[in-house]
Amino acid sequence: MLQNRIIPSLLLRGRRLVKGTGFAAHRDAGNPPTTLRAYAAQKADEAILLDIDATSQNRGPDLETVRLAARECSMPLTIGGGISSEEIAKDCLDNGADKICLNSSALDSPDLISACAHRFGSQAVVVAIDVVDEAGVVSLYDHRAGQVLPGHTWLDWLAEVGDRGAGEIRLMNVNREGGRQGYNTNLLDAARTRCDLPIILEGGAGTLDHLSEAMERGCDALALGTMLVFSDNNIIQVKRFLKNAGHPIRL
Amino acid sequence: MTLSIIDFGAGNILSVMNAFEAIGEEPVLVSTPEALASADRLVLPGVGAAAAVLEELRRDGMDEALREAVVDHGRPLLGICVGMQVLATTMLEFGETAGLGWVSGETRDIRDLGSPRAPHMGWNQVVCGEVETPFHRELNNRSFYFCHSFAVTGTPADITVASAFYGSELTAVLGFGTVLATQFHPEKSQLDGQKLLEAFVDWTP
Repeated sequence: MLQNRIIPSLLLRGRRLVKGTGFAAHRDAGNPPTTLRAYAAQKADEAILLDIDATSQNRGPDLETVRLAARECSMPLTIGGGISSEEIAKDCLDNGADKICLNSSALDSPDLISACAHRFGSQAVVVAIDVVDEAGVVSLYDHRAGQVLPGHTWLDWLAEVGDRGAGEIRLMNVNREGGRQGYNTNLLDAARTRCDLPIILEGGAGTLDHLSEAMERGCDALALGTMLVFSDNNIIQVKRFLKNAGHPIRL
Repeated sequence: MTLSIIDFGAGNILSVMNAFEAIGEEPVLVSTPEALASADRLVLPGVGAAAAVLEELRRDGMDEALREAVVDHGRPLLGICVGMQVLATTMLEFGETAGLGWVSGETRDIRDLGSPRAPHMGWNQVVCGEVETPFHRELNNRSFYFCHSFAVTGTPADITVASAFYGSELTAVLGFGTVLATQFHPEKSQLDGQKLLEAFVDWTP
């Protein structure tokens, strides 16, 4: 049967990995190729690497890092950050990415989703949707402005992303990022009413129980950052715990 | 030995190169019939839409060169994902397209085959059937990375080597003549994938 996925989510800044809280307060978290080699050995099911300075510096992801990271990544690798054109997307794929992750550029020009899906196949196109949840009121979030986007309904955007040919969704609860209070599975329940694609839930993983609870609530793909980077957890322990809790996990 | 990866300008060619280099091979990319003809062993990777891949293959006669190398001269071929699907007779993806027709069968939307959702994305266990295969040890009950919305169906039972369950049995591996074809991506399947690639490199059918 299809196994649930555990996906380390890594942030790149100046060719080093960093990790933060609520999209800020970043601390050094290691070297990308070395870290990916370790995660591959620990049987991470995939990996996501996001160049968080790319958009603000008006460029695509650092291709040298992508190339070196991809050599060590014997599982699928998703690359994101500043992918604002088909050409940048192709550069990432040509340097070893298996999928590209679109975020703010997709909001700016939704046609980019369709164009990339048409050219590279839907399986290579992940669209990241960042949301904040304030007492049950969920809004789309723009990481460039650092605030919610007025005038957008996140579920409508989610449906549009699917209609435009995305192959997968990465759903990030921004106000839980790095907060370790658990995943917001209400988001997944809401998303499932409008979208049939694979959905990777991210934001808030703090304990092994959080992961297990999210899977009990139907999440089959979980991304985690802080929990791996700044704790004693490694992917082998995480996956063994989930397997023992009865979830379909590849060891 | 020249291990040649057919490059038709789309997708994760580098992932395939990286995976073979990781097991000590020195793969080369080929994109012309002449270069293809000098290969001792071939890999047909594939991502994206099958029809687009077929169009690229048919340009400049790559499809005929591939048929000569594999079917006439018996060079081993590994087809991956869409590189397996295009070997079937008919592709039912965005309308009907003729495949290469090396095996009878068609490529269908997995939701029409009983899968709950598309794409079938992630790691799934592969189970070998009754058909004898030199890759039994590398395949049976091992997990590989799948990422596809279409699957090959209606192929002869004696070439269907292994399947994976996702709402229904999906064809995971075909084997015939000097061809090994996988719906999953061995190049992205960590150790189990590496072992299969090694077995393919060592294979003398």
